[in-house]
Amino acid sequence: MNPSNPPQAAEYGGDEVSAIVLDPGYSTTRAGFAGEDAPKSLIPTYYGKYNADGQEKLVFGDDVFVTPRPGLSIHNPIGRDGIVEDWDMAERVWEHSFISRLTGTKAGNPFQNGLNDVSPDELPTEMEVESEEKPLSDSPLLMTEPGWNPAKAREKTIEIAMEKWDTPAFYLARSGVLAAFASGKASALVIDIGASNISVTPIHDGMILKRGVQHSPLGGDYISSQINAIFKANSPQPITITPHYLISSKTAVEAGQPPQAKYKTFPADKAPDASYRALLEERTLSEFKECVVQVWPGPTKLSAPSPTGVSNEDLARNTPGRPFEFPDGYNQVFGVDRFRAVESLFDAKAAIPDPESPFPPPTPAQTIPELVKASLAGVDVDLRPHLLANVVVTGGSSLLYGFTDRLNHELMQMFPGPRVRVTAPGNTSERRFGSWIGGSILASLGTFHQMWISKKEYEEHGPNIVEKRCK
Amino acid sequence: MAAADVRDMLDLPAEGQPRPHKKQKVVEKRPEGITRELYALLGERAPPIAINENKYKGRPKWMNKLRVRPWSMAPFTNNARSDGLVLHHWQRKHESARPPAPTPAPAPEESQMEVDQPKEEGKEDVPKLLEQEYAFAKYNVKPRLPQRYTDDEYNRHLQSDDWSREETDYLVDLVTEYDIRWVLIADRYDYQPRMDTEPDANAIVPAKHHRTMEQMKARYYYIAATMLSLEHPPSEMSEAEFELHEKMLKFDPDRERDRKELAALQLNRTADEVREEAMLLEELKRITSNEQNFITERRELYSRLEVPISVGNTTMYQSSAGLSQLLQTLLQADKSKKRRSILGDGAIPSPAGQTPTTAGGLGRAETPVTQAANKKGSITSKDATQMVRTLTTAEEAKYGVQHHERVSAGVQFRSDRAQRLTQAKSNVQTQKLANALSELEIPVRLFMPTERVCKDFEKLIQSVNLLLDARKVSEKVESEIRVLEAAKMERERKSREAAGISGPGADSEHPHVKKETEEGDTGLLGHSTAPQNTQGNGEGNHKRSASVLSGASDKDNKRQRR
Repeated sequence: MNPSNPPQAAEYGGDEVSAIVLDPGYSTTRAGFAGEDAPKSLIPTYYGKYNADGQEKLVFGDDVFVTPRPGLSIHNPIGRDGIVEDWDMAERVWEHSFISRLTGTKAGNPFQNGLNDVSPDELPTEMEVESEEKPLSDSPLLMTEPGWNPAKAREKTIEIAMEKWDTPAFYLARSGVLAAFASGKASALVIDIGASNISVTPIHDGMILKRGVQHSPLGGDYISSQINAIFKANSPQPITITPHYLISSKTAVEAGQPPQAKYKTFPADKAPDASYRALLEERTLSEFKECVVQVWPGPTKLSAPSPTGVSNEDLARNTPGRPFEFPDGYNQVFGVDRFRAVESLFDAKAAIPDPESPFPPPTPAQTIPELVKASLAGVDVDLRPHLLANVVVTGGSSLLYGFTDRLNHELMQMFPGPRVRVTAPGNTSERRFGSWIGGSILASLGTFHQMWISKKEYEEHGPNIVEKRCK
Repeated sequence: MAAADVRDMLDLPAEGQPRPHKKQKVVEKRPEGITRELYALLGERAPPIAINENKYKGRPKWMNKLRVRPWSMAPFTNNARSDGLVLHHWQRKHESARPPAPTPAPAPEESQMEVDQPKEEGKEDVPKLLEQEYAFAKYNVKPRLPQRYTDDEYNRHLQSDDWSREETDYLVDLVTEYDIRWVLIADRYDYQPRMDTEPDANAIVPAKHHRTMEQMKARYYYIAATMLSLEHPPSEMSEAEFELHEKMLKFDPDRERDRKELAALQLNRTADEVREEAMLLEELKRITSNEQNFITERRELYSRLEVPISVGNTTMYQSSAGLSQLLQTLLQADKSKKRRSILGDGAIPSPAGQTPTTAGGLGRAETPVTQAANKKGSITSKDATQMVRTLTTAEEAKYGVQHHERVSAGVQFRSDRAQRLTQAKSNVQTQKLANALSELEIPVRLFMPTERVCKDFEKLIQSVNLLLDARKVSEKVESEIRVLEAAKMERERKSREAAGISGPGADSEHPHVKKETEEGDTGLLGHSTAPQNTQGNGEGNHKRSASVLSGASDKDNKRQRR
């Protein structure tokens, strides 16, 4: 098929009903209209909480990064395993994701919006008010969930969508399935490297195979903790990350020299919470991951000797390093360390020990090759070669330099027989928003509109319907 | 004749006045996007760069005259749904609903929506959109499953020890739900036997046994086949139905399980095994391709060897007439085959039908032709200098180049020549040669008649002949001696008889001599000699026998010389 030709109407099969696709993740929440190629609204899932004038206030979206308010603490409604823990706040964050950019706030009741003077006896009944304030009353909503989402959480999700947001139609799709759709595959083995989790999801005919779903916590945050461990053991001096908000000015220094910067100080009662600093340090770390960190390209592990007899570490040491400048001006060239930070994703023994890290040292079963192996062991043997020929890589952390090459080598080594083919979109946004894009495709298909759970059906069957319909 | 020449002849000045230039009308087309005035300034010579303004073409003019067809956000229902969910999408407004006044500008969404909503274009004529069937509803297809069993049917036909009624129901429900996609069914299969009583902590819960996909398939296929045959007895089934029925009845879970085990083994091979298999496959490929090559080459060779006339005797081609006839027949065959000539392009222009050369190269490859032609000098000297390369003796030996003083006509085989050496004039002689060769364990027909072998063979034959001659001579001499001795004894006897001594020895001696002579004579001497000798006719007889012998040897010698 020639990509420059528009598809025939019959095979395109699109029919847009201005559905909204909401793809909540641990680190970011993506929302946008179905049929578009990237989510219009991309906000951090983290939210801020602070006290002002004796009232608790909340900060959503990118605003959380901006102002170091006194006592500002950062929270995440989603747990480390990718399952929502704080439903109230999750609802608020998600609502913010589409209200801020997509739907806008609904015009409130004119009696209530403060623009009109209303005599108290004219106040309408509660019912009317409520029915008008719901944000999604004319857009069907497609949400994503991880493959291991428990039934309780799914029911809670549809409850929120139907009752709090009043969506006319709702569907809950697995993010793995959608990532496969985004790559144009109905059957695939999706390897999703997210912020808090890495997951391997086998998909057959657009449905996940539950027995093959595997996940482990070695996601982007784990890599950050490994980088922190490297920084602590760094020579000539341990590196501490000072986020931008704590620096008022800096001067350039030579590589490896101590930083010369003027720091901002906050008095104890004005200072934001430690979690705020952690959030901003994480931003610097993700920059570090984007610029410096590299996956050892393989084919063998970093600790193994290379075919020429020299150890791979020595080879890595000989490659030119990459410089990085921290917010306080300190800069250094990173050599072999930049490979070591991510090696434990493939080789549990290569993990850098750090007693202070919130992550326990990884077990061999948590590494990507083992996850893939376990996942394939859970599916029918006839399907395995097909899945290996359709490996889809998605998730923001999979953008680590050299990741797909290494993954390819690891899989080929583990399964020398069948053909292994790794599909990883080169486009950054396609990789980051893989499951959102798949949702966007799905929700704009004419044939999909029979799959929605309508409000009527929800009212008839209750939240349990999500288990029956979104299989 | 040019004007200059005429002027020259008439002594006119070279160029009186320039002739009025004929105005050339070069009407170059003014490119678009440049005004006439500006274009006029450019003069006759257009700039070398094409003025081609890259401008947005927009829609063709005729389209502006068309009426705008507005789009509207229209509600629709989907027939594939049972709940009548109303969703909204952009749709062309249909004719009657359109306001009569034509709206000037198209809505900005139009171009985009045209792409997005191609489905709805054909719907304009339908008066009421909502009533129209949703275009995508037709894709809602379900596989055809055999009808569900009733309680009665289940009890009569489908009882099973392994499967309870509840579990069977569960399985069939699952199959229906997942459209017989067994991978999914096996993945989601999670049957919990229902407890009639309160789930008691201490109650013995039947061990939840894991159903494999093969078990499920076997059970379901059995049910489906039974239901199918209940619906239509196998005799009334259509062909497709019957086939399906047979297929489902013949499902063998054990075999399927074995197959899967094998598949798993195959999948989990080590890298070495895979490499080995790849190597073997490569080898096999190489072998088969070699085989193929060999076969095609051999076929080609056979087709080349396929001579039109295969008369065993080649003597008829020894004469030039015979050869020219052969050439004619070959050419005929060549033409009838409608192939490229075997003779090659030029077909060798043989002067005066130089049959020997041409014929020499006929059947086989081209090199003998050129070689022979070179030696004959039938190619022009220029060609010859190009083609002949002087070789050193070593090189000549290496390439097997030989120079014959005399080239006989026709094809000659070296083996034939060697063969001819073993043929003596007389059969007896030939026999002897063969005997000698077999004694030396040399085959009469040489295996490898190379130049050197033939030379050595020739030498060998010569020496064998020499030896045979020597033997012949020695035998002759011996027999002569014996004859003479016999004569001498005869004389002595006679003298003794004359002397009065007689004894029986003479009688016994005589046959002995005769026997000896006969032995010695076999083949070499004529029988006539012995009796002659024994008769003891005296000197005259001896002479004759000697002359006979010498004559024979002379003959032999003559043959030898030849």
